[in-house]
Amino acid sequence: MNQNLLLIIVLAPLLGSIISGLLGKQVGRMWSHRVAIAGVGLAFIISIWVFKLVVFDDQTYNGQVYQWMQVGSISFEIGFLIDSLTAIMILVVTFVSLMVHIYTIGYMHHDDGYTRFFSYISLFTFSMLMLVMSNNFMQLFFGWEAVGLISYLLIGFWYKKPMAIYANLKAFLVNRIGDFGFLLGIAAVLMYAGSLDYVQVFIQAPEIAKKTISIFSDVQWSVMSLTCILLFIGAMGKSAQVPLHVWLPDSMEGPTPISALIHAATMVTAGIFMVTRMSPLFEFSDTALSVILVVGATTAIFMGFMGLVQNDIKRVIAYSTLSQLGYMTVALGASAYAAGMFHLMTHAFFKALLFLAAGSVMISLNHEQDIRKMGGLRKYLPITYWTSLIGSLAIIGFPGMSGFFSKDLIIESEHISSITGHDFAYFAILISVFITALYSFRLFFLVFHGQEHFTLHNGKQLHEPSIAVRIPLILLAIPSAVGGMFIGSIVFGDFFDGVILVLPEHNVLAYFGEEYHGLVSFILHGLMTTPFLLALLGVSVAYIIYVKRPNIAVRLRQRFTWFHKVLVNKYGFDNFNDKVLAGGSRLIARVFWKIGDLTLIDGVIVNGSAKIVGLAARMVRHIQTGYLYHYAFAMILGVWLLLTLFVV
Amino acid sequence: MQHLIFYSFASILLFTSMMVIIVRNPVRAALCLVLSFFTSAAIWLFLEAEFLAITLVLVYVGAVMVLFLFVVMMLDIAETPLQEGFTRYFHVGIFVAFVITIEMIAVLGASHFGLGILPSPIEHPEGYSNTKALGRLLYTIYVYPFEISAVILTVAIVAAITLTLRKKKRKTQDPADQIKVCREDRIRIVKMSVASPQKDNEEVES
Amino acid sequence: MIFQVINMSFALPEIFMMVMACIVLLVSAFMGKDSSSVSYWLSQFTLLITAFIIYLSISGTGGITFYGSYIKDPLSDILKLSICIINIFVLSYSWYYLKVRNLFNGEYYALATFATLGMLIMVSSTHFITLYLGLELLSLCLYAMVAMKRKSAMATEAAMKYFILGALASGMLLYGMSIIYGATGSLSLASISTAIQIGHLDNTVLSFGLVFLTIGIGFKFGAVPFHMWLPDVYHGAPTAVTLFISTAPKIAAFSMIMRLFVDGLENLHQYWQGMLIVLSVLSMIIGNVVAIAQTNLKRMLAYSTISHVGFLLLGVLSGTNEGYAASMFYVLIYALTTSGSFGMIILMGRNGFEADNISDYKGMNERNPWFAFMMLILMFSMAGIPPMAGFYTKLMVIKSLISVDLILLAIIAVLMSVVGAFYYLRMIKVMYFENPIEQIKLQAPIDIRILFSSNALLVLLIGIFPSSLMTICITIFS
Repeated sequence: MNQNLLLIIVLAPLLGSIISGLLGKQVGRMWSHRVAIAGVGLAFIISIWVFKLVVFDDQTYNGQVYQWMQVGSISFEIGFLIDSLTAIMILVVTFVSLMVHIYTIGYMHHDDGYTRFFSYISLFTFSMLMLVMSNNFMQLFFGWEAVGLISYLLIGFWYKKPMAIYANLKAFLVNRIGDFGFLLGIAAVLMYAGSLDYVQVFIQAPEIAKKTISIFSDVQWSVMSLTCILLFIGAMGKSAQVPLHVWLPDSMEGPTPISALIHAATMVTAGIFMVTRMSPLFEFSDTALSVILVVGATTAIFMGFMGLVQNDIKRVIAYSTLSQLGYMTVALGASAYAAGMFHLMTHAFFKALLFLAAGSVMISLNHEQDIRKMGGLRKYLPITYWTSLIGSLAIIGFPGMSGFFSKDLIIESEHISSITGHDFAYFAILISVFITALYSFRLFFLVFHGQEHFTLHNGKQLHEPSIAVRIPLILLAIPSAVGGMFIGSIVFGDFFDGVILVLPEHNVLAYFGEEYHGLVSFILHGLMTTPFLLALLGVSVAYIIYVKRPNIAVRLRQRFTWFHKVLVNKYGFDNFNDKVLAGGSRLIARVFWKIGDLTLIDGVIVNGSAKIVGLAARMVRHIQTGYLYHYAFAMILGVWLLLTLFVV
Repeated sequence: MQHLIFYSFASILLFTSMMVIIVRNPVRAALCLVLSFFTSAAIWLFLEAEFLAITLVLVYVGAVMVLFLFVVMMLDIAETPLQEGFTRYFHVGIFVAFVITIEMIAVLGASHFGLGILPSPIEHPEGYSNTKALGRLLYTIYVYPFEISAVILTVAIVAAITLTLRKKKRKTQDPADQIKVCREDRIRIVKMSVASPQKDNEEVES
Repeated sequence: MIFQVINMSFALPEIFMMVMACIVLLVSAFMGKDSSSVSYWLSQFTLLITAFIIYLSISGTGGITFYGSYIKDPLSDILKLSICIINIFVLSYSWYYLKVRNLFNGEYYALATFATLGMLIMVSSTHFITLYLGLELLSLCLYAMVAMKRKSAMATEAAMKYFILGALASGMLLYGMSIIYGATGSLSLASISTAIQIGHLDNTVLSFGLVFLTIGIGFKFGAVPFHMWLPDVYHGAPTAVTLFISTAPKIAAFSMIMRLFVDGLENLHQYWQGMLIVLSVLSMIIGNVVAIAQTNLKRMLAYSTISHVGFLLLGVLSGTNEGYAASMFYVLIYALTTSGSFGMIILMGRNGFEADNISDYKGMNERNPWFAFMMLILMFSMAGIPPMAGFYTKLMVIKSLISVDLILLAIIAVLMSVVGAFYYLRMIKVMYFENPIEQIKLQAPIDIRILFSSNALLVLLIGIFPSSLMTICITIFS
């Protein structure tokens, strides 16, 4: 595989970003978006080619592109590792990113920061590509941080909105916590493997797994478990797992294309991707897998519930993202990495679709986000309607749709897994199937069916947004519907062989591989399983409550006030964070600031040493008298000093 | 006998060199320097370095120092007053000078540079030409340094001219112009009326 | 006597440069008033062609010629190339400076070319005499350049000090050379090295000579306590000359220390290491601390130079190939960064206004954000803040110290770079957070703007991709 080809994939979006960002004013809006789209488009086309090379020609690539520096035996470098996992990731990332780029032309049309926005999203794509294409931990971390930083910029894109500033700060801080764990994890890897290169580290994994470390007194911890859990904390931050999920719903303050980009294809999948990439490490720690399993299951079910009470169209989808990420995490915990990756891929398509559809609705209704003020939009927005339907069916796992295959597989994997906590996970995600169906179709019905609750200003005719918005919807609807067909080759075939390591005792997918007899039988089998029935039930309940008998919803809310309150308060996570964590740290910070900073550091250390240095400086300055004979004498003194010290 | 001559020259050399720094009258200082050059030339003669010795006398004493004396006399510098703070630093200076001298003697003394350690210079046969040997070396082995010295001299001239040439108007003679000149350029014949007796024919130099 | 065939082709760069220097001299002598632009372009052309000649010969074989007084090896090639390139930058800045102020004629460029020739000779010398002559050629040109602004009392005074102290240092250097000659019986560095290796030499005498060599080198670099001339000369000389003195001659000084101490006297490492430690620690401390008290930017940069010299010596004194490479990297980056910093002073100034006070830079961000940003890059690099090149240079030097277990020295170096960061950051504070005194937008011709920007961006670029240059430095010494 040609190294330059790979370089183009990452550099094309970067170039687009630089041109539209730095020269935006000079080249104008038109050329800004043309350049940015061309960059990402080029990356997408090459990604297809790379995918073809990897998948059909069985080529892989692992090599150093540039060595940044060498410290001792550790080499910091930029390198690419291209295998089937990377190939599929770059394909998904560049495709969704391309769709979002095109969509942005229509969505951000009237915004002042048009070129800036294009610059950011191209840069975001670049960072994500650096992350997934990396062959070492250093570059992974670079991509990781870059993604975090640009998401901060993007969420706060409308920096004059106070909520946006709050949200981006929150996203940044929460991600910092995750990144801290991640950094510690990388440090642990470096300490025990002595290298940052993936291959080098993976080779040593079995040895590291035998080591233990004592952190507090004499309790022995498995090094591998510690490392993996630390790495997973990083993943929790990026992939928004409980309790580090709080940033994600708030990040809806950013423009909608961002929501699609962050939540569907890029940032949140980074954690899932990372764990999959690190499967040769995680496989050696059952403890870490259990932690992943439990965290994922908790996220899947509890975040789903919250989707039920939200009235903001984007927030509902945001919570569904959280819940779906829970699914992926659960799959990782059960060592069904391939299933997790597969769900990541299908989810990328239908979630991007749902977000862009929501954006389309919002454009038509003058950026109205409250679903109670919508309804009956079906006849005005036919394309949005049908594409949303596809997206919703996909997310609830309707047989035949892409989500069905990936979801069903995850649920069944939990069933037969042997990792501690798999029972809990199994039930949690079964329930969340019902919940998912319920809130997805609640949203769908409230927006597209029922009575019209919106008012149009000055007699404006309601119609579909521009072509730039519609094309991505249609293009995304296709893989959302049929993307599941590849399950046979991707999950059960030898697609991930040699890339993802699954120990024999964990290998749940192999079991299904034997049972798998083609798509049709898989679908037919799916029609008779519990998840399908639960999903159907969810849709029906949603239909009854929100379309047929709206008063039930009201009555239910009154009956279960406490539960509703808990949900609206987001289980108290935000309050807890605000009051206890943020308040507490502010308090501690204030104490430290007063005592430590003002008195000790500023007063004694900084000012004190500055005073001493300043004093010394003034004193020494007097030596520089300007008299020649003083200077000459200083030299003679130097002679004397050297002679006395070194000769006699 | 040799020893006696050497030591007397050497002590004169040391003494005059000291005097160069110590005496306050610049003319005397310059003259002391001349003397010290002479004595060191004499010591070189002992080493059979006749060419260098003669060059030292001819170039340094004959040209450089004479020029120096001219400058000093023309500038009419009186005795330089004691530098302010001279006494303040005097004892420190003396102390450091003393220590350094001790240290240097310790290193450069007979224990390290004595005849037992270093071979004594070979006496040259009769008819040996110092000048020829030097010339041969300069134009063969040391041709590169020799060329560089030439460049340095060029730069020295350039630097001196740039730093001292103040006026752009120079007093120069142009031979071509002098030769080209013809009578009409220099002489103007003015015809005057005879009536005024004060002014006769007048020649005007241009 | 055996006659060797002198391989002139090795010395082609020097020969070409000397011929061209004479031509520049003749042009400036005969064209009088209008000579400056012709001599400027001629000297730039000379540098460019010389650089090109050196570049072409890099891959060629090296060797010693002129009866053991001239050497061509990878070290000399790379250093010469960088001297030429740096001087191209420097002369372009000077050209702008002198043109705006209508100072000096063609002699300036003639002297600059001769000075460059001196540096090239130093870099290629493997013989005491050539080294000394090269040094004198360089110094003589520099003395004259400092004094060229005759009406300025400060410049004259600075030149006088520089000249007298320089003569003193030269005398000591010569004295040291003669002592070493006395002990080893040779002037050629290669044979000195073998003589010491064979042994039976008097180490007291050798180290005695070494002290005086160290003084000569210390003076050329401006290491404490032989630094006194440096602030006065930097401050007093016209900025264009300061720029010239502070960049390429440091590279030449580096070659001097490499030739003398490493090529010639590496076996005396245990002696010169101690001496360099003294110079280096003193330089780092005095340079950084006194720089804080400065209000004049040129003086501040002078003291910062002293502290950088301290850092630079650290790599050399470690006595390992890794350390030599680190020091070489340091001096190259230093020259580049310094040329940018003084370039900024030249850019800011105009006729009758030198812009050399730190307060002149108040609120620069408002007057020209781009320049302020470029200056920020340069200051960050000097302070050693990543990702600028200066960070990497400091890192490599300190790493080389740690690898020979000079931990205490490494700690002092780190502490001193923290102290140093103070005054560089103060400069940034002044540029970004204080209100401008004058509101005039900063203007400069496009060519000088491009030059300055590319200079600063190069510092950033090398900081991001240091390994190419670093690899060159490492391969030279391995």
